[in-house]
Amino acid sequence: MYKDLLIRFILGGAAVMVSYLITVISPWKILAGIFAAFPAVMITAVLMVGIASGSKNAAKIANGSVFGMIGGVVCVATVWIVLLVSGNWTLSIVLGLLFWLGSSIIVSSFRDKLKNGRRKTFRTNLLVRHK
Amino acid sequence: MGELTISALLIRFLLGGTAVAVSTLVARNLGEKAGGIFAAFPAVYLAALLTVGLDFSGDELVAHSILLSKGAIVGMGINILVAIFAGYLLPRQGWKRGLIQAMGFWLVVSMAVVMITTYT
Repeated sequence: MYKDLLIRFILGGAAVMVSYLITVISPWKILAGIFAAFPAVMITAVLMVGIASGSKNAAKIANGSVFGMIGGVVCVATVWIVLLVSGNWTLSIVLGLLFWLGSSIIVSSFRDKLKNGRRKTFRTNLLVRHK
Repeated sequence: MGELTISALLIRFLLGGTAVAVSTLVARNLGEKAGGIFAAFPAVYLAALLTVGLDFSGDELVAHSILLSKGAIVGMGINILVAIFAGYLLPRQGWKRGLIQAMGFWLVVSMAVVMITTYT
């Protein structure tokens, strides 16, 4: 638990630090943004599950994280659009957070429906086989 | 921005690390559904965006935040590809090799995007 938190802290901290370092010293400004989106949480989650319960479960975590990343894309896109349209920095962050939450709830509900749909199909297949 | 100082780097390391650690703790205390949503909170991006506010104000702050967001949206697109690639690799290569290869893929694609956008 603490090891997991420590790895997340170090990876997250390093990503923000490297993003700043690139902004100051490198000519590749887009790289700073790429580092600001560094998947620290996904890497740590895959690493910890890999150690605890093997490669198959770690792969499930990686696949599952795709759904969560959609919310991240919506958040960044919202901040970007609001900054371009209004030039209001605080408003862009507030709306970015709201749209992240809204889109994440929609994606999460869609994911649940998808899972339940699969379970129902699996059960139906089992029943058909038994008959 | 201009000069690079140890304290500026340290502040960003601490803010980024704290943002990720706090969002993880919040996710764990929220229950399964809300926790699952909060586990994907874009803490690194928001911490990076907030720290831009330490150096700039007014139009410069907006311009630098737009630049950071432009890169971050490309980065998040790359992350989705990396996660799909990791999901494919891990059961076949084992989690250690699979994770290292997925991170190598992240680096190669990121640098390719940088080269294409900078030099074309």
